[in-house]
Amino acid sequence: MEEYSREPCPYRIVDDCGGAFAMGCIGGGVFQAIKGFRNAPSGLQRRFIGSITSIKARSPIIAGNFAVWGGMFSTIDCTLVHFRKKEDPWNSIISGAATGGILAARNGVGAMAGSAIIGGVLLALIEGVGILFTRLSAEQFKNPSPHDQPPQDPSVLGDPNKAGFSFGQAPPSYQKDR
Amino acid sequence: MSDDYLSKPLSIGDNDLGLAPAPRQTIPKFQSPYLNYDTRYMRQAQPEFIFPEGASKQRGRFELAFSQIGSAVMIGAGIGGAAGLYNGMRATSLANQTGKLRRTQMLNHIMKQGAGTANTLGTIAVMYSLFGVILSQVREDDEINTVIAGTASGLFYKSTAGLRKCAIGGGLGLAISSAWVLYNLSGSKFNKNYM
Repeated sequence: MEEYSREPCPYRIVDDCGGAFAMGCIGGGVFQAIKGFRNAPSGLQRRFIGSITSIKARSPIIAGNFAVWGGMFSTIDCTLVHFRKKEDPWNSIISGAATGGILAARNGVGAMAGSAIIGGVLLALIEGVGILFTRLSAEQFKNPSPHDQPPQDPSVLGDPNKAGFSFGQAPPSYQKDR
Repeated sequence: MSDDYLSKPLSIGDNDLGLAPAPRQTIPKFQSPYLNYDTRYMRQAQPEFIFPEGASKQRGRFELAFSQIGSAVMIGAGIGGAAGLYNGMRATSLANQTGKLRRTQMLNHIMKQGAGTANTLGTIAVMYSLFGVILSQVREDDEINTVIAGTASGLFYKSTAGLRKCAIGGGLGLAISSAWVLYNLSGSKFNKNYM
């Protein structure tokens, strides 16, 4: 159902950008809360203040980075859908690698390659887990094969007295030959 | 009944909708009666949609939240980038910077202000969506939720900046969300489902 629950392609960019921003904002908020709490000077009051300051200072930036990643990923994904005329896991893997590479473009070729590999492997893992879950959940909907189990009603095999069909010779009848 | 039903559009009773009989068309000899009925009997007052079993009929706030946040981020990046372009122009011409230096400074201004505005608007949108989703879970979803969520996100965003600024932020949120709700209520009735 994944293909039907998501937005169609050009609008998916906005959707993914927003999802990534929300994820970064909330997840980054939690992370920065812990980090600010640990790095603050002693005293519970000061620790909470440090936590809030850290959230306010850092979590929008993390969210923005996430949003850029999500938006870029989705843009490349939609471009690939347009040009390859199909939607498959390779689209996600390619666009993950390309996004990682492009966003590290200012850091040199080595960093670009490293980021691209990390992005591609990450997206391949995500897609692989998705396919695995689809397989596992499809298993329980499989119909039982009718050949594997004995028939519940023996009468479907026909009248056992009337040998309508048999291999080899016909059964001898003893009554008339006497 | 003769085999006339093969050549005549299907109708229930004796023309009980008060419609004029459908115009006779030249119909090929063998046509399924399932494909040959008067389509005027299928009139609907409104379009019908098929929903998966158990799904709620309307897209809720949660389904709309990500698009709202994403559009807020993108609009913020656009506005911030334009403002950064203007500010960068002014700052570089005041400092008499030219050439490579000016280009780099312009890029710095645009990227910095664009990212800042995008983050601000996106954070406010995240807060609004969070409050809206929680409210729509707690009570039924209506326009009051929009106003409460707008006010709460204004208050929450400015909650560490002092009481006065906090109140100003809440008032701003209240004003914007009320204006939005009033605009939607005065407009078409189909619009109010998309807040």
